[in-house]
Amino acid sequence: MARAHVPTANGTTMNGATSLVKSLEAANVDVMFGLPGGAILPAYDPIFDSTIRHILVRHEQGAGHAATGYAQVTGRAGVCIATSGPGATNLVTPLMDAGMDSVPLVAITGQVPSAAIGTDAFQEADIRGITMPFTKHNFLVTKADDIPRAIAEAFHIATTGRPGPVLVDIAKDALQTQTTFNWPSKVELAGYNPRITPDSQSISDAAALIAQSKKPVFYVGGGVIKANASRELAQLVELLGAPVVTTLMARGAFPDSHPLHLGMPGMHGTVAAVTALQKADLLITLGARFDDRVTGKLSTFAVNAKIIHADIDPAEIHKNKFADVPVIGDLRETITALIPALKSALAKNQPDLAPWNASMQKLKKTYPLGYTLPEDGSLSPQAVIERIGKISGTDTIFTSGVGQHQMWASQFISYEHPRTWLNSGGAGTMGYGVPAAMGAKVGAPDSTVWAIDGDGCFQMTNQELVTCALNNIPIKVAIINNESLGMVRQWQTLFYEGRYSNTSLESKRVPNFPMLAESMGCVGLSCERPEDLDATIEKAMSINDQPVVVDFRVHRDAMVWPMVAAGTSNDEIMIARATAPDWDSQEL
Amino acid sequence: MSIHTIEVLVENEPGVLARVSGLFARRAYNIDTLVVGPTSNPEISKMVIQVNLEGHSLEQVIAQLDKLISVISIEELVEGSKQPVRDTQPDYQN
Repeated sequence: MARAHVPTANGTTMNGATSLVKSLEAANVDVMFGLPGGAILPAYDPIFDSTIRHILVRHEQGAGHAATGYAQVTGRAGVCIATSGPGATNLVTPLMDAGMDSVPLVAITGQVPSAAIGTDAFQEADIRGITMPFTKHNFLVTKADDIPRAIAEAFHIATTGRPGPVLVDIAKDALQTQTTFNWPSKVELAGYNPRITPDSQSISDAAALIAQSKKPVFYVGGGVIKANASRELAQLVELLGAPVVTTLMARGAFPDSHPLHLGMPGMHGTVAAVTALQKADLLITLGARFDDRVTGKLSTFAVNAKIIHADIDPAEIHKNKFADVPVIGDLRETITALIPALKSALAKNQPDLAPWNASMQKLKKTYPLGYTLPEDGSLSPQAVIERIGKISGTDTIFTSGVGQHQMWASQFISYEHPRTWLNSGGAGTMGYGVPAAMGAKVGAPDSTVWAIDGDGCFQMTNQELVTCALNNIPIKVAIINNESLGMVRQWQTLFYEGRYSNTSLESKRVPNFPMLAESMGCVGLSCERPEDLDATIEKAMSINDQPVVVDFRVHRDAMVWPMVAAGTSNDEIMIARATAPDWDSQEL
Repeated sequence: MSIHTIEVLVENEPGVLARVSGLFARRAYNIDTLVVGPTSNPEISKMVIQVNLEGHSLEQVIAQLDKLISVISIEELVEGSKQPVRDTQPDYQN
């Protein structure tokens, strides 16, 4: 355990429910998001007296994503709690989401009494079986005596190594039985020993390979943020002076304003970032996992590059892409060790990176991210997102849903700091934005928190605005309302001959978003004309005692560019419809 | 030959067989045979699994198995042609 904490309650007799709450207190939990029901009800009695703040959500999915938002902002484990059956299954999406994005999450669920397990009892669901594929680990606790150890192990597993979600399912009778509380002084698991310190040989191999490279690029993933290694990364980048790309999960790990930053790679990455990976002779991969959204057609990805792959999870090595030099360990330790090793390697052989840097800078300058304003003078979704970013500043925390608005928020907002960009990267969970913003605001109450949401996403989870209004969690929500499932519509435009099957949401007619927001105790604003854009954002910025929802009624046909179509090679990146970069004018 | 035999020591706890067999199923690894039995330590069970790799690398199968908290150790019984397969994932459209 990171913190030795011997609770004064050790040795005291209490019931399992109190033991659960004392365990959560011993694990230094300060807030949890949840909703009670029959099987978990015994736990809610001691929760009533606990120092832990419990935030009563309106749907368990909201609790799960809020816990994720809290975890992503603070770096600590997020905690959510629900009852058995449907309460527990409503946590399935957030748990899967947290698994895909390596979020430390602890979910507590009530289970039917142990004698009833397997009888199809009321509100019985095998949530341990259901969540086995995407939790890092899970527990079914049927004895009161086992509760403290399960909770201690859950937090240890969730927050160490590659972080991930852990579920603890507790039978109702275990909560009701008397027990002697005993918080374990340390956690030891025979089958769990994450490798933290990288092997010194792999560090020197990596340094040697870097010093031989003429076209290296730092391929930075979300692991750098998880490992709190941004400062060390900046030192390493300065030392080598090579270009950097940050994946969707790594936006903010390295400042966007840095000249060596080429932007985001992948399906909607910048031409410079995508091309840097394609043309590199070395990928210095730090906490990234060669996701299909980054690599495009794998057999054509970075074909001339050697690969250094640094990750805390050994199973990521060679999973999608063979690594010439694997480095397994915590990324902050890895980068810290790599800096002196690279210094001495460069002292022997200093490669000239100037031609490579020059060609990448030329690409960056020739193909910046951009968009055209709608010809009819209506509101541009990209402009809305860009202005929100500019007006609210780089200390703001942004969350998003999934789709076009998510890609624009990753492209047109400048991220300077880690943990300021929260989104559902691996899972692509529509509806993540509002509850994640709620959790983020609870974790960082002094920061401005904007959810950049779509009209489709917003309609999946907006009920948590009631939770925000009632619990003094004044988030701001920008609905980028294009009255469509915009990204699906974009694919229909490009790949299905404009046959818009079931993507029109008509959300400029129904619902009335400002009225919906007002009904939930929020301030509802609306903006339709470009000339009102800044004033509307400033109005939203001026309200800090209530959640604010702004219905930005934007043009429907805007598309996300650049784009590498699914299943195609990164070499086929398009900067606009049927428009490839002018490669002939580039020297690569 | 793409069939390998591995011996996996696991925590003897309810659901552990589901954890292991579920992992094989969801990652599309083929089990040819699987035997579970006790060891001298009542807290530890032994699984002997014949895995038919069919394009997957043994390294990757072992690495994924090792991520299961309930798995204590993994050993290949007869050392086969254990070599990393370069870029094993086929191209696909997603």
